[in-house]
Amino acid sequence: MSLIDVCQRLVELARKSGAAEAEAYAERTRESSVRVRDGEVEELQQAASKGVGLRVIKGRRLGFAYGTDFSKGGLQSLAERAVALAKGAAQDDANGLPSRALLGSGAPGEYDPAIEEISPEWKLAAARAAERGARAEDARIRKFDSTGAGDFLAHAAIASSRGARGESRASYAYVYCSPVAEQDGQLQTASWSDTRRRLAVLEDPEQVGRTAARRAARMLGARKVKTQKVPVVLDAQMAAGFVAGLAGAVNGLLVHKKSSFLGSLLGKRVAPEGFTLLDDATLAQGIATRPFDGEGVASQSTAVIERGVLRNFLYDAATARKAKARSTGSASRGWASLPSIGTSNLYVKAGSQRPEEIIGQVKQGLYVTAMLGRGADVVTGDYSRGANGIWIEDGELAYPVQEVTVSGNLLEMLRGIDAIGNDLDFRSATSAPTLRFSELQVSGA
Amino acid sequence: MPRTTAREKKPQPLLPLPLVERLLAAAMSRGAEFAEVYVEKSTSTAVSLDEGKIKSAQSGSVTGVGVRAIRGAQVGYAHSDDLDEAALLRTAQTAALIADGTRQPGPIHMSRTPLPTYYQVRTPLADVEVARKIELVQQADAAARAYDKRIRQVMGGYADQTREILVANTIGHLAEDRQDLCRLGVQCVAFGKHNERRTGFHGGGGRVDFRFFEDFSPAQVGREAARQAVATLGAVPAPAGPQTVVLAPGWSGILLHEAVGHGLEADFIRKGTSLFAGKLGEKVASELVTVIDDGTVAGGRGSINVDDEGNAGERKVLIERGVLRGYLYDHLNAKLTGQRSTGSGRRQSFRHAPLPRMTNTYLAPGDQTPEEIIGKVQRGLYCRQFGGGQVDISNGNFVFEISEAYLIEEGEIGKPVKGAMLIGVGPEALKNVIAVGSDASHDPGLGTCGKDGQSVPVGVGLPTVRIDNLTVGGTGA
Repeated sequence: MSLIDVCQRLVELARKSGAAEAEAYAERTRESSVRVRDGEVEELQQAASKGVGLRVIKGRRLGFAYGTDFSKGGLQSLAERAVALAKGAAQDDANGLPSRALLGSGAPGEYDPAIEEISPEWKLAAARAAERGARAEDARIRKFDSTGAGDFLAHAAIASSRGARGESRASYAYVYCSPVAEQDGQLQTASWSDTRRRLAVLEDPEQVGRTAARRAARMLGARKVKTQKVPVVLDAQMAAGFVAGLAGAVNGLLVHKKSSFLGSLLGKRVAPEGFTLLDDATLAQGIATRPFDGEGVASQSTAVIERGVLRNFLYDAATARKAKARSTGSASRGWASLPSIGTSNLYVKAGSQRPEEIIGQVKQGLYVTAMLGRGADVVTGDYSRGANGIWIEDGELAYPVQEVTVSGNLLEMLRGIDAIGNDLDFRSATSAPTLRFSELQVSGA
Repeated sequence: MPRTTAREKKPQPLLPLPLVERLLAAAMSRGAEFAEVYVEKSTSTAVSLDEGKIKSAQSGSVTGVGVRAIRGAQVGYAHSDDLDEAALLRTAQTAALIADGTRQPGPIHMSRTPLPTYYQVRTPLADVEVARKIELVQQADAAARAYDKRIRQVMGGYADQTREILVANTIGHLAEDRQDLCRLGVQCVAFGKHNERRTGFHGGGGRVDFRFFEDFSPAQVGREAARQAVATLGAVPAPAGPQTVVLAPGWSGILLHEAVGHGLEADFIRKGTSLFAGKLGEKVASELVTVIDDGTVAGGRGSINVDDEGNAGERKVLIERGVLRGYLYDHLNAKLTGQRSTGSGRRQSFRHAPLPRMTNTYLAPGDQTPEEIIGKVQRGLYCRQFGGGQVDISNGNFVFEISEAYLIEEGEIGKPVKGAMLIGVGPEALKNVIAVGSDASHDPGLGTCGKDGQSVPVGVGLPTVRIDNLTVGGTGA
């Protein structure tokens, strides 16, 4: 049975079992990867997976069941289980599938057939090239945590009693390298990777290895700095992490529950003029680009913060109903979970300054290149994370720093952004250019 | 005390044993030296509550097989959720591709290892009625709301899993286990003046029978989560910089998990990427520090009768009075370095190859009372509740979040301070452990550890501990 037929069949079975509304979401994935060590294969993995989740609404109550058994009996028992589970949930008028008007089944997604054809030899060669590149970049790279390459193909389908019916395909190729630099008994690791929807634009594996090696080796000799308040520059990768931490603050459900520090600031200025934050599920070749969201709502681009002003929160269908808003097509899910609000391609628009200029204007400060811990609390607005990086002195990168934390208040941090880099690169679903914060607390010695 | 028991009734194995043998033979067919078949059937139930209502009840069931073939240091891994024989044989042949010869493997003799049982779960959690699970969450919610009118948001969740596994390999292991696991958790948000929000979280569970919640009362869980949120309203920023910290017992064991535990996992040791590599027998911590990883704790969240490679769960002393004594070994890393497995090979599911992992990691108790420890601190920070943590095993930098903390002044616990991150370097922080309490305590059963994209349940434990000169990532002076 095709994936869409599995969904359609489940919806029918659920209706027969007494569900007022039903929606099935199924996925098949194929993945294959190679990991190397010292030029030899360390691990080969290959697998195909499948699964389906069924959401039912009966008497305004919600039930959900999932499984991997696509046989006739398997689907029948899944449908019965979902309907039975709805009995225990509370009645809620907000429960329900998205209305027909919101549904979309546009283009079937970003799919590159070339990724289907990637051979094990190609992956092995790519992983070897990354490892070789890392060694060639710096003689102090002699060990690796891991180096590898792989591909991932996904096919998803959705069908619902409200008329949703769609399929999407996604393809990904990736290469990664985590070398360890060693000197005077100190070990420093860094990792660098590239993941793309199209094989042709995947970064040269050797360059991935070289970048990873540079990032690890420049940390050798790292030490603590004094506790002080200074300007802090987050490199593009760490800036993306900061933005990912903000995502919860624009989650419509947390806003509705008055549990987001941004909740009461819609229409207000929360960041400088040059700061625009978009969630765009339609971005060309974006890692999270999709034709529709986890409940079949057509993908869109949402301006979350536009030129410093908070413009929109993100909603799925049920929360939108509750908050009297409109779904932004932000239902994220896998087959084993109910849809919940999440981001797609979330990114900060590029500014005009080169990272070197942004660093060059700092007299004393910290350039952060790695972080530890989650650290961003969108309920309280507190922010505190472990940081590694390079100390800036008179606009120059002076020496490596570790074992410090960077702390602040998320709203003050947003308002205090005083430089935005031109180095935006869509390396992952959440991305940002280099960002500079005018002053943050650095805790160290 | 755990004891060895024979299973009363032997149910059908998850996969017929003759088929398991055929899969092992297929995985060996190209010259691998070792092959393993891992079969898993996992049934999960989850209930979530938000805004005073049971939002949803959900359940799922997933069955699959993972096949691993090893030649030297090379691993082939493949898995399938399609259980018909042809699909499984293809899976085994895919794993076999790691080797490139041909070989007619000899007969495989598997024998069942009798296993102890560290979890006394009478009724599989999957068989407990959903209505009873819903009731737990509702009781916790009601108690949290009743605690204080400033508690305005409560989110509650209960989740359980009944996981049956079968592991068979070509060195003759055949092990079967049923691993039940549950967790009740409540998060509260207290609303203060001027838009202030504070959160609290509490919960617990483990590999326990559902009757566990008769003693571990959901109402108590709700009240504790509410207490934390309300107690921290009006908190001032935590002071920034190095200071003396006193960690309350229990979940603070996350310190050990991050500061040393990961760095002792044998994959990092073999690759030489951990700062603890090559340091066996060396002093790596204060002599007050004895660290144990114990998969045999009764009902522990990280406990295992058998690991995911068919080796029995064990109690291992990793650091003894400050001296590094051992690492955590899975099959592969043990074999490659001439060691024995310590029963530490774990995996998230059949979709993952096993890795060396922790189980329940705790610090042996010392001899001071918590009051003595706090009483001797002139100025410092008392950390009562903790969030998550992370470590970079190469440079040893670790962090963990404090979610509820108080200033200590002249030996007395004073004003609450806002949450902050603690940061240190593993061995340095452990050398600065200057007092260990007699109040040993395990966490209530909440932890999940992530490594290489795989999550496994773990336990941690710590008595009251004083550490000097640990950096606090606050925003205050």
